[in-house]
Amino acid sequence: MSSEFEISRSITIGQYVPTGSFIHRLDPRIKLLVFVILVVAIAFNTSYFGNAIGLVLSLYLFWASKIPISYGLSGVKPAIPFIVILAVLQLLFQGQLFSDGRVYVDYGFVLITSESIRLVVVSAVRFIEIIFLSSVLTLSTSTTELTHSIQSLLSPLKKIKFPVHEISLITTIAIRFVPTFAIEMEKMMKAQASRGADFGTGGWWRIVQRTKEMFPIIIPLFNIALSRAEDLILAMESRCYTPGGERSSYSVYKAIAKDYLVLLVGLFFSLLLLFYPFPF
Amino acid sequence: MTGRPIIEIENLSHTYMKGTPMEHVALKGANLYAEEGECIAIIGHTGSGKSTLIQHFNGLMRPESGKVIIDGEDLSKKKVDLKTLRQKVGLVFQNPEDQIFEKLIGDDIAYGPFKLGLPIKEVRERVKWAMDVVGLDFEEIKDRQTFALSGGQKRKVALAGILALKPKILVLDEPTAGLDPKSRKELLDKIKRLNKDEKLTVVFVSHNMEEVAMLADRVYVMAGGTDVLTGTPKEIFTDKEKLQHHQIGTPETVQVLYKLTDLGYQVNTEAFSVLEAAEEIMKVLAGKKEGSEHVQRI
Repeated sequence: MSSEFEISRSITIGQYVPTGSFIHRLDPRIKLLVFVILVVAIAFNTSYFGNAIGLVLSLYLFWASKIPISYGLSGVKPAIPFIVILAVLQLLFQGQLFSDGRVYVDYGFVLITSESIRLVVVSAVRFIEIIFLSSVLTLSTSTTELTHSIQSLLSPLKKIKFPVHEISLITTIAIRFVPTFAIEMEKMMKAQASRGADFGTGGWWRIVQRTKEMFPIIIPLFNIALSRAEDLILAMESRCYTPGGERSSYSVYKAIAKDYLVLLVGLFFSLLLLFYPFPF
Repeated sequence: MTGRPIIEIENLSHTYMKGTPMEHVALKGANLYAEEGECIAIIGHTGSGKSTLIQHFNGLMRPESGKVIIDGEDLSKKKVDLKTLRQKVGLVFQNPEDQIFEKLIGDDIAYGPFKLGLPIKEVRERVKWAMDVVGLDFEEIKDRQTFALSGGQKRKVALAGILALKPKILVLDEPTAGLDPKSRKELLDKIKRLNKDEKLTVVFVSHNMEEVAMLADRVYVMAGGTDVLTGTPKEIFTDKEKLQHHQIGTPETVQVLYKLTDLGYQVNTEAFSVLEAAEEIMKVLAGKKEGSEHVQRI
């Protein structure tokens, strides 16, 4: 029986599962780049067939990186309400915009056509594909690798005075502290439950009560976050961190043949999804 | 002790993140038994399962396998009245001062009793009583801002917040960690008073062997998710072999006495309370003096 407070379990951001697979050993910059182009391609593909390819591809990536699919599913689980709400809204209100194809229901403002159904199904599947892909990316890449590659991919923007280093530092810190705060939150929930607090007891429509129930957790968490931030500043400054200073990097990435090959495969799939006229 | 059993834990196991690559066995067949009014210390290295074990006492964690009976109530049943259980078992987490969230001290201590649905008069009395026990002046402190307190005082407020629930069992996870020596001593005295005068059953986790020697009636030593050794502090701290085997630290007094035995002096290693140990050392010193005078005379 799992505990009602085990929330750090369901948070997959910032979690790294070192299985040492082929995917793990890829150059993180290439991995990130391929991820971005695949996500863009999936986002623009509106065919059933194309999204089926995307889904199979993202499932294959789980297998290739030797990460249990249950990780991907646990990432999808919290998104289900959004997917459902989105689907219902699209089904009811988007029919006018996608009025092509066969008309199934035409009642007042509700117009359901084969095209609007396609939109609903495709957006839900697309959502799941993107969650899977980003899960594979974050589970197979450590946060340091990830931020280093963001920094190196964005480095051309330095020319136009874009604060690349600062942005990547902020993202590193933000991602780094997600699991930490999940653990703190778990501890706080347990501590407050020990003195009689209960969470989420009232019905969901009693928003004020449910918000009030969260105060004993949110307020201490803010305190902890602020004091952690202060500690972090001290730790960084005592190690001579200077904003805007020129810094060298501990790890230097070098893409080799297999990385370029992966880039090519990624490009192929993206172009396929973007431009191939799928029959359905 | 011939009291009524209040905590009975048998063969308890727990695995974190079951079914993921991060799976981690925290408890493996742990046992613990406490009678009403006892003071139990749990010691053991980091990761030995102490914190997981104590979270089973008030139902924050439910037994995965094994038996947990608290004050006669079996927690492995599906339906357990958690609210009553958590009122009965006051659990004070590590660094409990983090959990203070109200603006005023009195309000924060009153949070628990209000959650129990008590009338305001009763809440007020309980807050007053709890503040009294931990040594905070009710009239003077209750309307002060929580953030203006010192670390030691904050911890007292947090402890009062738990005591205001009027628990029968008080469970503390490293209660004195991070406190200065003065607040440490004060807090230990309070815990001792609660155990002796208010007849609370106390279970505490500690890394400080002096504390264990001073407070505990019995000690449980945890290692690898199970209890490997149990006995009175005297039994535990005088069993040199087992101490070494489980790499358990001892109070400084015991260390000094062992050193003296190693050097060939006749001391009673069971005398580990500070006063007794001091007496033993005095004896050695006196003996040495006599001896050296003797040598000189010859």
